[in-house]
Amino acid sequence: MTDADISNPRAYKDELIEQATRGGALVAGVADVEAFHMAPEGHRPTDLLPGARAVFVVGGAQPRAADWRSPNAEHMETTSTSDRISALALKLCHYVERKFGYYALLNPPGVDRGGQPFMSLSLAAELAGCGTRSLAGPILNREYGFMYYAALITTLPLPVDGLAQESVCPAPECLSMWEAEGTTPCLAVCPIDNGGCLGGRLENGKIVDSQYDRARCTIRTNGNWVPGFQKALGLALDEPDGERRKMILNSTMFTRTLWSMTYSNVSQAQCFECMRVCPVGATHRNLN
Amino acid sequence: MSFFFVEPEVYKKYKDRVLAMSQSIQVNYVEHLAPEKRKPGYSDKQIAEALGLDMRVVREIRCVGEREFYDIDEWEKATEFKERQCRAYAERGVASATGKYFAAKKVKKAGKK
Repeated sequence: MTDADISNPRAYKDELIEQATRGGALVAGVADVEAFHMAPEGHRPTDLLPGARAVFVVGGAQPRAADWRSPNAEHMETTSTSDRISALALKLCHYVERKFGYYALLNPPGVDRGGQPFMSLSLAAELAGCGTRSLAGPILNREYGFMYYAALITTLPLPVDGLAQESVCPAPECLSMWEAEGTTPCLAVCPIDNGGCLGGRLENGKIVDSQYDRARCTIRTNGNWVPGFQKALGLALDEPDGERRKMILNSTMFTRTLWSMTYSNVSQAQCFECMRVCPVGATHRNLN
Repeated sequence: MSFFFVEPEVYKKYKDRVLAMSQSIQVNYVEHLAPEKRKPGYSDKQIAEALGLDMRVVREIRCVGEREFYDIDEWEKATEFKERQCRAYAERGVASATGKYFAAKKVKKAGKK
């Protein structure tokens, strides 16, 4: 294959998927740039890379089975980040540009100045057929359940995979629970009407309503990070007593927050409780 | 040297409206819902146009408002929630989330006998 042989885009895609798999991706797919019309203006592929023709999505590097079993919540707060899958996507960007000769832009894993994703990785993963949206929010892959995603936006015209044929969520177990109890495991763990982040409703086996308290979820997923730092710093600055100020600045919460902030733009999730009880992909989380 | 921030008077005046129009509390945000059902909330640009403000002002108000939405107590509640739920899952698996419903069912059933 030469850089000029674009008459066989399928071959480019196959080679890219092979590279992704060798790099540790469990899933890969291509989304149509035109399908991002539901994304807000400014957050679509062509807003980041003019002339973009495809979005290549890779998924994987999710927490290990043992991570899910640990009774120590702090463990996953520090071990589960998206940097491995993001590093793979960056490597693939280099590959596309050097080997194929087309532009390839990594969709940054962090957020922009307004705290918004540059381009929704959830939407990209869904449009690439890697998984479908869950009641809890994350995109679930049919085989593996929760995983991290990364995306590169490219001018290389790759054949599109499109949406998955069937929704992964609700899982049969969750549907049974909904019919019996009017809730699901993820909603039961973190109910929005009882101090949690999630709400929703199923009808005829589909999600018909959803609620998500992003502000509260941010505290749970980014608690020991920038938001926590801002809160604690404000508290410290407002404290007139020097000794009390010292106690705040040297507190475990503030200290841990400073440690976490060394991950500057890595997506560092610190709460997994809705996904811990999710049955999708559970077979991969049950070992000896 | 300058540093952009929104004056407190402007923030207080528009905070509630900006947050209400934004995506901070998402109801029916998911993309695959029927178009008539979807309520994705407004972008900063759309909120700015609706309120007659500069987009950058809306962004600042929204970001500060989101950070202020819950007070510091919520951080402690988050820590307690995660520790409690993670430990419960390690001990009882998915039943840590579903068990209370089956327990309630048993009580109800026992009550009928």
